[in-house]
Amino acid sequence: MTTVQRLAFRAGAAICALAALMLASTGAMAQGAQPPVRIGSTLALTGPLASTGLVHKVVGEIYVEQLNKRGGLLGRQVEWIVKDDQSKPDLARTLYEQLLTVDKVDLLIGPYATGAILSAMGVAQRYNKVLVHHTFGIPSMAKYEMQFPAWSLGPDPANTVPNTVFDALAASPKPPKTIAVVTSKFPSVHFMSLGAREVAKKRGLNEVLFLEWDFGNLDYGPIAARIKDAKPDFLWVGAIGLEGNQLLDALSKIDYTPQEHFYMYPAPGPMSKSPLAKNALSMTVFEEHPPFTNAPGAKEFIALYHERAAKAGIPDTSVEVQAAASYTAWQILEAGVRGANSLDDKAIAAWIKKNGVDTIQGHLRFDGPSNYGDDLMRVKQVQNGRWVTVYPKEFAAPGATLLVQ
Amino acid sequence: MTLPSGTLLAQSALSGVFIGSLYGLLGLGVSLSWGLLHIINLTHFGFAFLAAYLCYQLASVGGIDPLLTLVLIVPLFFGLGVAVQWLLARFSVSPLNSLLATFGLTAIIEAGIQAEWTADFRKLESIYAGQKFRIGALYVPVPELLTLSLAVALCFGVWAAMRYTDLGRALRALAEDAPVAAAFGIDRRSHALILAGVCGALAGVAGVCLALSFTLTPSQIYAWVGVVFAAVMLGGLGSALGPLTAGIIIGVSEAVTMAFVSPSWAPIVSFTLLIALLLLRPGRT
Amino acid sequence: MYLVLHWIVLATSWNILSGYSGYFSFGHGAFFGIGVYTTAVLAGKFDVPFLWTLPAAALLAALVGVALGAVVFRVRRVRGEVFALLTLAVTFVLATIVLNTPIDGGPGVYLSAIAVPALAPTPSGAFYMMALILAVLTLVIARAIPQARLGVGLFAIHDDEDAAEVMGVPTYRYKLAAFGISCALAGVAGGIQALFVSYVTANSTFNITVPLTVILMSVLGGTRHWAGPAIGATAITLLLYASTAADQALAGKAISGAILVAAVLFMPDGILELLRTRVSRSAPRLAVPPAKAPMQPTLQSVRSSTGAHGSRPLLSVRGLRKSFAGVRALDGVDLDVHEGEIVGVLGPNGSGKSTLINVVSGHYRAETGSVAFAGAELAELPAHRIARAGIARTYQIPRPFAHLSVRDNVALTAMFGLAQLERAAANDIAMQWLAFTGLQSRSAAMPGDLNLHQTKFLELARALASQPRLLMLDEVLSGLTPTEIDEAVELIRRIRDRGTTIVLVEHVVRVVTALSDRIVVLDQGRVLAQGKASEIMARDDVAVAYLGVPHA
Repeated sequence: MTTVQRLAFRAGAAICALAALMLASTGAMAQGAQPPVRIGSTLALTGPLASTGLVHKVVGEIYVEQLNKRGGLLGRQVEWIVKDDQSKPDLARTLYEQLLTVDKVDLLIGPYATGAILSAMGVAQRYNKVLVHHTFGIPSMAKYEMQFPAWSLGPDPANTVPNTVFDALAASPKPPKTIAVVTSKFPSVHFMSLGAREVAKKRGLNEVLFLEWDFGNLDYGPIAARIKDAKPDFLWVGAIGLEGNQLLDALSKIDYTPQEHFYMYPAPGPMSKSPLAKNALSMTVFEEHPPFTNAPGAKEFIALYHERAAKAGIPDTSVEVQAAASYTAWQILEAGVRGANSLDDKAIAAWIKKNGVDTIQGHLRFDGPSNYGDDLMRVKQVQNGRWVTVYPKEFAAPGATLLVQ
Repeated sequence: MTLPSGTLLAQSALSGVFIGSLYGLLGLGVSLSWGLLHIINLTHFGFAFLAAYLCYQLASVGGIDPLLTLVLIVPLFFGLGVAVQWLLARFSVSPLNSLLATFGLTAIIEAGIQAEWTADFRKLESIYAGQKFRIGALYVPVPELLTLSLAVALCFGVWAAMRYTDLGRALRALAEDAPVAAAFGIDRRSHALILAGVCGALAGVAGVCLALSFTLTPSQIYAWVGVVFAAVMLGGLGSALGPLTAGIIIGVSEAVTMAFVSPSWAPIVSFTLLIALLLLRPGRT
Repeated sequence: MYLVLHWIVLATSWNILSGYSGYFSFGHGAFFGIGVYTTAVLAGKFDVPFLWTLPAAALLAALVGVALGAVVFRVRRVRGEVFALLTLAVTFVLATIVLNTPIDGGPGVYLSAIAVPALAPTPSGAFYMMALILAVLTLVIARAIPQARLGVGLFAIHDDEDAAEVMGVPTYRYKLAAFGISCALAGVAGGIQALFVSYVTANSTFNITVPLTVILMSVLGGTRHWAGPAIGATAITLLLYASTAADQALAGKAISGAILVAAVLFMPDGILELLRTRVSRSAPRLAVPPAKAPMQPTLQSVRSSTGAHGSRPLLSVRGLRKSFAGVRALDGVDLDVHEGEIVGVLGPNGSGKSTLINVVSGHYRAETGSVAFAGAELAELPAHRIARAGIARTYQIPRPFAHLSVRDNVALTAMFGLAQLERAAANDIAMQWLAFTGLQSRSAAMPGDLNLHQTKFLELARALASQPRLLMLDEVLSGLTPTEIDEAVELIRRIRDRGTTIVLVEHVVRVVTALSDRIVVLDQGRVLAQGKASEIMARDDVAVAYLGVPHA
């Protein structure tokens, strides 16, 4: 080509490039060229706590995706930075420090399980960050004023939860007279079982057996044998995870079916599916039936969770305590940021404490001791292979009552 | 502390025998590896759980009788055992380094298990699960009985093989003094591979027993290491009957303790007994 | 950061006992746990200021360790995997006690309310400082030990504890010392960790993870070097840390495992050894100094001041008995050895010659009988005291310390035997004795590199370096060629000429008759005959014992 043509060509190309650049940057600005709000946490994605950690990961991802669809926080997209603490509280602590000092996240949210939450709480306290956490088991230990629990145990669950259970039993066709309390020494379960003993004593129940085992016990044979010997009307099992199932297996091997039995924190799927767990009782703050499902956003969340959990390979895809508490935590954090209209932790904390938050568990308040509000735990039971809430009546699944043998 | 009834004691002791036999079965492979091959094999536990998960998968999803899965599992894990030994021998790994290497392999296996089956609990509901016999007032559940039978049969079988077959004698000679044994024509490498294969197969069997009686989750691999190592060291390295005996002693002492007092005290009794036995028993070698 | 330092302390402290001495402890978690709970209880329940709880943690952990060791190390067969099991069992026992008593009782101990000492502007900085100080202290200790007598002794124990004891190393005391130091450091690490996690539970503290991890870290880095565990700790902690990104949590775990496997396969002696061999290979080769003519050691003679032969025997054995599982190896041996003598001990196989040496040197304990040496009764003493008294011996099948160089093997007895020299002086003496035995050019070699002749002479040099008054040679000539035998005989004569009394157990009759002043013949654990060579060899009963038929 001639020199003029080449020049024209080059000029044209330059103009096109500039135009494209301008268009692109306009597009970027239209989306909000502000950086995203970064929320950091750890989860137990490997190690003994991994099965529940995965639930929290799925819920978190769902929530952040939905949140971003709704416009994010303060007009900015939200990015969730999550790390694997390998079920180790000391690693959780180090990672939370790292999230704040190296990754420089704007906000924190809690990890899974009491030990890790305490570690995170310590870090949050030292850096004056607000910390909303999902399932913390020992309210009396939550001493930081800017921490907020999503799991509504109430400030004194060792007293209130057993009372709820015994109320439910008293209202049933066959209230028990004798009780056996067998419990794991896992911290968040142990103190609840001790509370149960106290409440049982106050209510005039006769304790025929009290046993504790080490978390990690492999042989439930002798424990089962002692329970069978004691023949209690009501068996309170301070179990967490699989311990309840292991005990039931051991009991069935010696041909003993407990009359009425209660499990503190069982892994929900395995327990509901086990034919031995017929009529087993437990506690919940949320189940997949009305009135819980009437909460705003609950139905959509449940549907999405079913889909994502199945994709992640989780065997039991129903939304119950862990998933609900996880969702609630994000709701609390979102409400706090919106309400305070800022990312300032003190402002967020003050707003949450003052106003409470509407969540899928209902309205939560945080003005009690250790920022705990009401005990919202309801009694649920395994009926026909599914968990249904049975007490109090207003929260029971339609038509469901506490079944006895 | 109320005194337990005779039935309670007996049932508890029986329960201890059952779990002790599983300690012994798991320990058999570890003991043979350690004593005869001088490999401290943590992968044994990884293999046992992998076998357990495979059994679960085949039985739950595939509908195959769990005991039949042994037909596939035993040769498969024989092969895996040979593979690991080949790797370790190729690099002439020392006993201590073998602990390190097999720990790394176990981590890989654990990650693989979690990737395939998630960290969630998996329980095999087999036809054996609910079956049991009654002997007087005592209950003998079938899965546990199967475990006990397999453990006893395999331990005695290995013991007899060690004593009476040429292969067994060759292996013992190799363990004592490999160069001299080689001078007598015993091929160290192939014998070691065979033994490692056998240990792998034993892990496979132990895995099936685990699947029959226990709920599986990947992190549980490590729950067994402590007590099985204890049984192995108490029973004597390289011994075929030692881990079984020691395992049953540990299991029964814990179970009987649990019948009397709070079960959370159980480890103290078994391990204090262990310490006492180690300090007081007549010297060997 | 903090975790790296924390594991450096744990791994290095473990190595002080287990790596150096070879007593593999599976129970480091127990002492770490003692530290954790000491701080937790004192600070959490009794409001003791945090920094004061740390020395308490160290002390308590060390006390428990030493008490355990005091019992366990007495039992001779507690070695190897038995010790490993014992320490593992102790962990379970302690965990159960902590879980079931008010120390913890179940709910765990909560420490968030405890103030972190203001050692740095931020609390995390404070933890880092504390961990750093502790790590530096631990590394300094770990480095100092191999340079001190304790370290040399531990390394010897690692290779051959019984021989070490006989060479004069006070094995019981040294093991206890190493154990105590190891536990104390683990205890302090535990105390700091308690505040770091701010919530301690029995389960997470007494997990099998801690003992397993420290073993892995030390072995990976290298157990013989003070810095090895630190390197392993850093490597593994960083590896663990690198796999925390959520999306690849599982992949990260698998990759960490694979890296570990690869590291072990390709770096079998640990990272440190690999680095060291690389460095030494690339460093210019030092010129080997030309072999000097063997010089006479400038040591004074060990002749006693009284000087006279035969006034009182140097060694007096009476009624010595020793059985092994029913076999009477020594059945009432009476024997005198005078200063400056060479006493030859002859006898058929199984007559008790080696056992005699083993019992007198303390390798075995006598059942009954007395061994009087230079006025002191030795029969009840531990072997290292016997060595200190001035008795040295060689082993029929040489037992050098496989991981110590030739020179260090010889220096060891100079440090722990009668001479009780300092390290530098011991090294000099060692070189001189190596020259005496013709081994000075192999001083930097490892015993495994020597041939049989050289190994036997190494045994000899090692025995001599302790400046013994009595030297017992157990078949030192077996396996040597005739020329080598002549050299050895020459050497033995020179040794006696310098004033050392010699007891010579041998099969080679012509050598014994040529060398010895007196001969003792043992048969079936008893003294059959003693006296001058010519008399003994003419006796019928001696011939019968040896050959079965009297000579014509």
